[in-house]
Amino acid sequence: MKQGLLRKWLIITLPLIAAAVLLFPTFRASQLEKQRQELVAAKNETALAAFDKENGETLRKNKEQSLKLGLDLRGGIYVTLEADVIRLLEESAMRDAIDEVFLETLEQTRQQVESGGDDDVLPVFLKNFDAIARPKGRKLFSYYDTGDNRDLSEDAIVKRLERNINEAIDQAIEVVRQRIDKYGVAETTIQKQGTRRIVIELPGVSNEAEVRSLLQTTARLEFKLLRSNAQIVRSFFAIDQLLKNKGAQATASTNATATASTATTSAASTATASAGADSAKKDPYAGLSDEQKREKFKKDYPFTSLFVTYFNPPGEGQQPVPVIYEKNEFPEGEYSFQIPEETLQKYEEIMARPDVRRIIGNEYQVLVSAKPEPFFERQGIKLYYIYGVLAKPELTGDVISDAQATFDPTTNAPMVTMDMNADGAANWARITGANIKKRIAIVLDDRVYSAPTVQNKITGGRSQITGSSTIDEARLLEIVLKAGALKAPVKIVEERVVGPSLGEDSIRKGIISGAIAALLVVLFMILYYANAGMLADIAVMVNILLVVALLAAFGGTLTLPGIAGLILTLGMAVDTNILVFERIREELAHGRSLRAAVDEGFKRAFNAILDSNITTMITGAILYYLGTGPIRGFAVTLMIGIIITLFTGITLSKVFFELILSRGATSINLGQPASDKA
Amino acid sequence: MQFFHDTKIDFLSKRRLFFFASVVINIVGILVVAIKGLDYGIDFVGGTEVGVKFSGSQAVQTEQVRKAMDEAKFAGSEIKSYGKTDEFLIRLPNVAGKDYSSTAIMENLKKAFPNQTITLLKVDKIGPKVGAELRSKAFLALGLSFVMIMIYIAFRFEFLYGLGAIVALLHDAILAFVVSVMVHDLGIINLEVNQSMLAAMLTVIGFSVHDTVIIFDRIRENREKHKNMPFIDMVNLSINETLSRTINTVMTAVLVLIVITVFGGEVLQGFAFVMLIGFITGAYSSIYIASAFVAWYLETFKKYDLHVESYGSISAKAKA
Repeated sequence: MKQGLLRKWLIITLPLIAAAVLLFPTFRASQLEKQRQELVAAKNETALAAFDKENGETLRKNKEQSLKLGLDLRGGIYVTLEADVIRLLEESAMRDAIDEVFLETLEQTRQQVESGGDDDVLPVFLKNFDAIARPKGRKLFSYYDTGDNRDLSEDAIVKRLERNINEAIDQAIEVVRQRIDKYGVAETTIQKQGTRRIVIELPGVSNEAEVRSLLQTTARLEFKLLRSNAQIVRSFFAIDQLLKNKGAQATASTNATATASTATTSAASTATASAGADSAKKDPYAGLSDEQKREKFKKDYPFTSLFVTYFNPPGEGQQPVPVIYEKNEFPEGEYSFQIPEETLQKYEEIMARPDVRRIIGNEYQVLVSAKPEPFFERQGIKLYYIYGVLAKPELTGDVISDAQATFDPTTNAPMVTMDMNADGAANWARITGANIKKRIAIVLDDRVYSAPTVQNKITGGRSQITGSSTIDEARLLEIVLKAGALKAPVKIVEERVVGPSLGEDSIRKGIISGAIAALLVVLFMILYYANAGMLADIAVMVNILLVVALLAAFGGTLTLPGIAGLILTLGMAVDTNILVFERIREELAHGRSLRAAVDEGFKRAFNAILDSNITTMITGAILYYLGTGPIRGFAVTLMIGIIITLFTGITLSKVFFELILSRGATSINLGQPASDKA
Repeated sequence: MQFFHDTKIDFLSKRRLFFFASVVINIVGILVVAIKGLDYGIDFVGGTEVGVKFSGSQAVQTEQVRKAMDEAKFAGSEIKSYGKTDEFLIRLPNVAGKDYSSTAIMENLKKAFPNQTITLLKVDKIGPKVGAELRSKAFLALGLSFVMIMIYIAFRFEFLYGLGAIVALLHDAILAFVVSVMVHDLGIINLEVNQSMLAAMLTVIGFSVHDTVIIFDRIRENREKHKNMPFIDMVNLSINETLSRTINTVMTAVLVLIVITVFGGEVLQGFAFVMLIGFITGAYSSIYIASAFVAWYLETFKKYDLHVESYGSISAKAKA
């Protein structure tokens, strides 16, 4: 008996504890976010910086685990991009081989694919190829090569086309991700859907025109000569002077969030410290506390304090030396710059200023690496490189015919091979020949993906790029290089914008109708089923709590139809109780004891409960599978609601009854007319 | 409290009348919808739809918005407003080579209505291909739901009862759809045929079976318990015994749906309304369609006199 009692209490308390645990991040995140918004509103920058330093990571983690609101509730832009795979099939064919038959096959494929469905294009193309081109004596290898002359089998060609298509989408995703990161929208999601679509969600954005230009322009792949030289460093110093003279307040006001006060800038503080020590003679920092020194340093060097500058002495095995701008002595040679993620935004803001651009000049360009340095990233530190390059590209990506990530056969290290067409190969030989032991940056969309050093003159058009530390890194470089070789333009096929006012309005109306509906259902149950109705109401409230908690746990999003699903669950969850209560009433009317009636009631109602819930589950699953966007949110809440209803309506309610029975109750008021009472 | 206590309503005596009337209403409804045609939402036809809200001292007329759009060379635009006088939906068809941006539309509207504050509520831009795709997926979803539920019911109940449940389900789906299309034509609630409508229809299909299952479950129980009771009486008894259940389960759901229809805002209004109709007809159809169908089938095809024959005698004959 004792054990049975424990089990019953566990059935009641465990779900509640689970719900509390699952919903805690949502609660904590909204709490922190509120505090942060207050600081932002108060324009209290130092407090904000301190807050971010202390709670930034907690906030981020909690946000990840909290219940997300759909775009229809928070406002924002939802875009579906589709890659033009047919164009890609045309581009990957050998240009001289393309003839009428091939074009007809493509056209046929286009018509079939455009008439609806997001089916895979390649199978349709191959089917049409069999129907149209093969009878005319064409083979796949009449149009495509495999990049490997030993294997010209049809299978190899199909595999290669398949890979090309996948890579074109991956590459488009990469480009979109970079651009959106640059655009600075928080909590975006970018997902591949099916074989050729990309779904992008940008919360809180409503300028359609801007987003469109961001997504639809084609990416540029360029090779640029690296010139991280003394002139660049001198320009940086000039930027410092410019910003300092124009007054620090100008930069301070342009920037609200970027802070340079985390562990990752420890390198920067080392430079600061040594700067202080070196100029001890007439030290302007004398008598200041460390904190004040850092503050003053930031004020004196508003630009170069954002990153660390190293001078790389010529010759093998030389250690890079941190550069101290205060000395204003910059020897000729090669420099390198590392910038932590935290100050990157501030850096970009400064670089976007026209007066700053004038200092850099037209000949040079300053670019940032696309990904954080992998070695530090593995230790949780995100450091980017800054590169000075010649603005004029040596070569553009359209000369690249293929790229492939592989392993170096001798060292087994990951590397990427890159092939160029005849035109490109000739130019490439000239460029590499003139720049031996110098570095060339591979730039996509103004972001540097790799800056390999030229080892020797490359003739014949095939290059090997080593230095990737993992195969994933090499794969990324391969995808980037193919931006030149593959052209699969993306176009927007679906776009939805929800203005912020509509979202707020929807949330308000959802909460109002939810509250009213809950009140009505609760009242009805108490009026009709009296004390038992109250038990059902408790079970329903637990039900709603659990549905929301599970939604958060599964990383689901709450959409407006989802709220409707939640409210509907409220109305349907009590159905289970109604079925059971009615049966208990019936059994009592037949003169059974309370215990027997309760047992019988739950047992007999079970079949009907199961059957009716399973049918709703079936339609919910179909809706989830075939629906999109907010409608999916409805399907998810409906399905979770049904599963939870089976628990709260049967198990939990029964435990309530049993607890009452175990206290020796001989009657429970089920609201039945007096004549039927047991 | 108890609404229905020990009722002895003879539901099935009027079964032919109700069944016939329901069939007629359904057919007429389908015909009316077929003749009038459907008003597809932007999801299913493709195009651009922009929702705007005007707030200014003077009310804006639909005509004025139309004129402004025409003058701004947004040819073929359709202007609609539902319920509220200050909110408009502007719809532009997909035209090859033309790409409308909401930014451009908003600029033109602001120029045309300088005294109004115009808020962009939402934009839906659906390419022609996606529109066709969503439409075909919707049909697929509907068809698949019918088939899956049919399979489930056939698996859980005998074939005849499964058939009855499916006929009732069809009835509910058709009626909910027809009523929605008609209410949409009256212009009170926006009930375009779109993804929300699809979701509501699927929910109706899933829920319609609830009440039917309750009654069939009781029939299954009673036919064993009252083996010698005439079939019609036994079904009547089952319906009466479960009447509280049928009414109460539907009532809680209907309560909730009325609340959403009234307070849920424009987006949820149509969604909840379709379900509201479907859930109400669901209760009716479980009695007059599903149960009546079973009786009708046994009488017409098996030639049983159900006022005399009981389940016991029927199953004995079937075995013989």
